[in-house]
Amino acid sequence: MTRTIHLSLDINGRRYDLDVEPRVTLLDALREHLALTGTKKGCDQGQCGACTCHVDGSRVLSCLTLAAQVEGRQITTIEGIAAENGELHPVQAAFVEHDAFQCGYCTPGQIMSAVACIREGHAGSDEEIREYMSGNLCRCGAYNSIVAAVREAAEMA
Amino acid sequence: MTIMEPRKHGDASDGTVGGRQTRFEGNLKVTGGATYALEYPVEGLAYAILVQSTIPAGSVVSVDAKKALAAAGVLMVLTPDDDMGLLVASDWGGNRPENQPYYPLPRQVQYNGQSIAAVVAESREQAVEAARLICITYEKAPHVASFNDTAAGEGKVMDNLTSGWGDAEAALAAAPVQIEGEYSTPREYHVAMEPHGLTVKWDGDQITVWEPSQWSHGMARSYSEWFGIPYENVRLISPFIGGGFGSKGAALAHGAVAAFAARKLGRPVKLALTRPQNFTNYGGRAATRQTIKIGATEDGVLQAIVHRGASETSTYADWPEQTGAATPILYRIENFSSQHRVVPVNTVTPGALRGPGKNPSAFGIESAMEELAYKLGMDPLELRLKNYADRDYQSGKPWSTRRLREALIEGAAAFGWSKRSHEPRSMRDGNQLVGWGIGCGTFPVIQAPSEAMIRILRNGRVEVVSGAIDMGQGTYTILAQTAAEVFGIPVDQVEVHLGDSRLPGSAIAGGSMLAGSILGAVHKAATAARDELIGLALNDEKSPLRDTGANTLTFSGGRIAVPRDRGPSLTLSELMAALGRDEIEIRRNTLPEGATVQEQHQAWTTMAKVQGPTMGEYSMHSWCAHFAEVRVDEDFGTVRVSRIVSAFDCGRLYNPRLVESQWRGGIIMGIGQALLEEGLVDQRNGRTVNNNMGDYLVPTNADVPHIEVISVGIPDYGASALGGKGVGEVGIVGVAPAIANAVFHATGKRVRDLPITLEKLI
Repeated sequence: MTRTIHLSLDINGRRYDLDVEPRVTLLDALREHLALTGTKKGCDQGQCGACTCHVDGSRVLSCLTLAAQVEGRQITTIEGIAAENGELHPVQAAFVEHDAFQCGYCTPGQIMSAVACIREGHAGSDEEIREYMSGNLCRCGAYNSIVAAVREAAEMA
Repeated sequence: MTIMEPRKHGDASDGTVGGRQTRFEGNLKVTGGATYALEYPVEGLAYAILVQSTIPAGSVVSVDAKKALAAAGVLMVLTPDDDMGLLVASDWGGNRPENQPYYPLPRQVQYNGQSIAAVVAESREQAVEAARLICITYEKAPHVASFNDTAAGEGKVMDNLTSGWGDAEAALAAAPVQIEGEYSTPREYHVAMEPHGLTVKWDGDQITVWEPSQWSHGMARSYSEWFGIPYENVRLISPFIGGGFGSKGAALAHGAVAAFAARKLGRPVKLALTRPQNFTNYGGRAATRQTIKIGATEDGVLQAIVHRGASETSTYADWPEQTGAATPILYRIENFSSQHRVVPVNTVTPGALRGPGKNPSAFGIESAMEELAYKLGMDPLELRLKNYADRDYQSGKPWSTRRLREALIEGAAAFGWSKRSHEPRSMRDGNQLVGWGIGCGTFPVIQAPSEAMIRILRNGRVEVVSGAIDMGQGTYTILAQTAAEVFGIPVDQVEVHLGDSRLPGSAIAGGSMLAGSILGAVHKAATAARDELIGLALNDEKSPLRDTGANTLTFSGGRIAVPRDRGPSLTLSELMAALGRDEIEIRRNTLPEGATVQEQHQAWTTMAKVQGPTMGEYSMHSWCAHFAEVRVDEDFGTVRVSRIVSAFDCGRLYNPRLVESQWRGGIIMGIGQALLEEGLVDQRNGRTVNNNMGDYLVPTNADVPHIEVISVGIPDYGASALGGKGVGEVGIVGVAPAIANAVFHATGKRVRDLPITLEKLI
């Protein structure tokens, strides 16, 4: 299969045009075609959460989403949540302050999940945060700090 | 890398050694700006995909690649028929057989999931599709799927792991109280979030490898030896690595395949392993089993320990997961005997996974100690304190520092251990049975040399330069703190460059040996650079500090001044400008004076100069005591860990914020080991059945309670130049037995084989 399709994607408020095979996932489109490598590939099977992005404000696993599916929708990645002037999003800042990561590889997915988790109203208690952040694995084991960071960011929101 | 402004500032002392400085590279990691191996923009990439064997033993008769080669976009197929002309590289110790060919895609199949072919195409999707079209014909041979297979046999005794003193058998027979148990642990896997893979590019006979690495210099050596090119021609780049836990310390077959493909094609190649392929491209922790017999007096004084253990290894290399590693040093014991065997089976050679040896060993001895405590009717805490080891009975040497008693006492106090009710099943909360358990842990202090470079720049910034790795332990941060302290400057005036085999050599980020080693080198280089600057400032005719009559200078608050004087003070940049210097560059290592270039190369690229915990006057180890609370559903047998308090003696902590994170990380991996993690092998074909993150279960956020960690350590300057002992490995050691002991306390059921799944409790 070599046929390519033309896509115009709205990512972080900017338009990206690309020609890819229809089978290319959103994750590979970001990483391999658009140099947006902040979104991570941990399993490519929808099991680890490292590739979490937002589509129209909701969290999705970009490894299980075809790039062609999201044309005409608003895609947000980790590169798109800090302010224009570079000021960190409150969730990003809370992750640094609480040391909510070690190797950093799951971190973009954790942060995208956390932003959505708070917006969904699922950050009301530590138990709720744990439950709604459980789609994002962290093998370094930063879970206690992730909960603390999400709680703090939720309180500020 | 340049530090960005952290959001909050704590105390100014956060930026010195021992301070709670936030992670130096933190902003890069939360913005997606940290660049991992497969994320470098390289022009003209081709994409490689591996094909792994589907039989456990035998040989490849033929590979039919016609369909694959005809598929769209395919550039190349590599099979066992391709002689890559590679030579076997050195082992960890630097030993290398002469002129022995290396076949990263071998004809002989030794385990299911071994790489035997590769497809390279214009895109990843095309390579994946073509890989499915490859047709392999095998000639199967008999296999041994696991060491529980009847054909596996008893394996072979590792003589170097046999130890004993006193007369253990006689003392055991004479002991009035005896217990015996067999404890086993399954295959466990690293499951680092970043899968293995690399991007590789040749420029003539120079090769650049972007690959996650726990040891840039050691892995660069392998590439140079495989391809017969000078070491200097290899550059391995790894400034960020998405978790290792022992899996990324060595260059592996897929690296050789990608590098060969790139050379043959004349264009750069990116090879990413799929998550399932990660389970067999490198070995996880070997499955283990061990029998422990303890003899004691009726009042709980240990008389003898007899230990016999075994672990799986591959059919082509002996890798012991040392079940007797913690057994001899946790308690005062006059009569001891231990033996460990390896049992070859058709698996990839197992590897080091967090707390190698010590971890399954502690599961055995720490479970057995609680079994003894219940047999005696004694509080398990009291039993441990009663048999506290006043020295290392194995080596006969005194401890350098050992605050395990403090860890037990302070941990127990924080946990509320005194409120415990001794009898199993005596604590409950509704339909949940509540249980408490203790597990002690230890990990040796391993010492290795390192080298570092310090550059003072004209703009007043200080650079720390080293090939050392930061895989999340905090190397960037603690090196910045060290330089900041020596020069009396804020951390954000320091830059740290790491993870490149072209930079000064360093110990591996493994065995908990890196921090102690590289901090020693950075401190030495920074101090030498400061001394050089002082010399210039006091003697150079252009220096404003020359005629002050001082014989030294102070570095504090970002200024350089004469001690106890109100005279002139300058910033680093002002002094450099006054001296007319663009740069002061100093390189130092921690090898003995006069080490040759060859010895230096050996030190950075092999383990030959690494020193174990008892090679000096003392026996040096980190220690910990974990206290776990579990809640077991009485009807369903489901176990939840509801509370953990752990107290650690890791000597001086270079950055408590980051150390606490590492301790918790080790404990969480221990929760996984206790309750979830188990590599399942299909006995019919030796296949790892659950080779993915949905079936090989690792702890999720909801599985983990709040974990309280406590430091009881004191600086140990025998262990390292700045007083720290290792922190990364020890955290996991002792967690699984603490949980197993808590499960026994809750339910009255002793589970001796991990993980503790519900069917073992109902």
